[in-house]
Amino acid sequence: MHSFTKNFLKGIIRSNPTFILLLGLCPSLAVSTSLDNAVGMAAAFTFVLLASNIIISLIRNYVPIRVRIPVFIVIIATLVTIVDLILQGFIPALSKSLGMYIPLIVVNCIILGRAEAFASKNNTPNSIADALGMGVGFAWAIVLISLIRQLLGTGALDLFGHHLFTVPGLADNPVTIFLLPMGAFFAIGVLLALFRWMGVSTGE
Amino acid sequence: MAARENGFYPVMLLTLIVFISIVSLTLTNAVTKDKIELAKKDEIAEMLIALFPKMEGFTYDEKSDLYIPLAEQQPLGYAFMAEKSGYGGTISILVGLEPDTTLRGIRIISQQETPGLGARIAKSFFLQQFPGLAVDDVELTRKGGKVDAITGATISSSAVVEGVRKAILDKLNRLRRET
Repeated sequence: MHSFTKNFLKGIIRSNPTFILLLGLCPSLAVSTSLDNAVGMAAAFTFVLLASNIIISLIRNYVPIRVRIPVFIVIIATLVTIVDLILQGFIPALSKSLGMYIPLIVVNCIILGRAEAFASKNNTPNSIADALGMGVGFAWAIVLISLIRQLLGTGALDLFGHHLFTVPGLADNPVTIFLLPMGAFFAIGVLLALFRWMGVSTGE
Repeated sequence: MAARENGFYPVMLLTLIVFISIVSLTLTNAVTKDKIELAKKDEIAEMLIALFPKMEGFTYDEKSDLYIPLAEQQPLGYAFMAEKSGYGGTISILVGLEPDTTLRGIRIISQQETPGLGARIAKSFFLQQFPGLAVDDVELTRKGGKVDAITGATISSSAVVEGVRKAILDKLNRLRRET
């Protein structure tokens, strides 16, 4: 298989950052309370990961091993701050609901993990493929978790102010525990078990 | 990574990267600063209109930290921000007062309460309890006030109520002292 396609596809299921690598669980758990937040987080995350993978793969031959972590962190922190400022200025509603989780992308271990494990050792096209694949992998994972939590926790689905549908019976008596932090663990625990049961094994 | 490991090179490289980072952040800040302030001001204007539908514009008095909604150059009342720690972080509330200092209404400007539970403080079924209340009635029902707490979100409800009452009392005290 062509290496670009291969590097793109691996993040989606075989090395899915959330379900298989179990990286970056903090945002997957904390921001997955509503579909809006999950979509916004996934977009911001993918942008930062893509930009950081590109920059780090471009400068990888100039960065001494001893200072690589500070270099990566400065680059990631700069990108995240840029995203944060742009969101505040142009999409204030999203910036408000994601709140402190945008600045926390800096310490999202998927981004540092991909910088360290992939972008610092591979060329730019492959790093782009890796970032996009991981972005898609993270996106569908967090959207799936938020779908379960919002559906069970509120009995209805809304996306960016549009009401999609209501589950009869559940909406009057929702399982609010799914909106609480422990509900996130229930959802992700069941999903992880499901993936193991289906035989999706670690890819790397 | 075949870069030089010793000597000044790592320090120089790190310094260079930090410098580039500072430049790009300064540029982003310059581009977005006005936008961010405008977005905040728009948001306040929108909230003020929700409380004072007849409003045509508003002025902000920096000394007393009061927003004064205007219609035909006449003040319609007062509005100001109240803040209080809730369950998940600081809740910012815009409080509107009638000219006779009864409560015109409140709006939640920002909050990080649990969605589906505490976050319902921003829904109208909770907020509609506030208009017309006197300061002393701004208290949860079980403590002798006239505001019903939201089921499953006592901490958030009580934070809103406490924050609003304290902010009104502060403003009234200051106004009394000044006049």
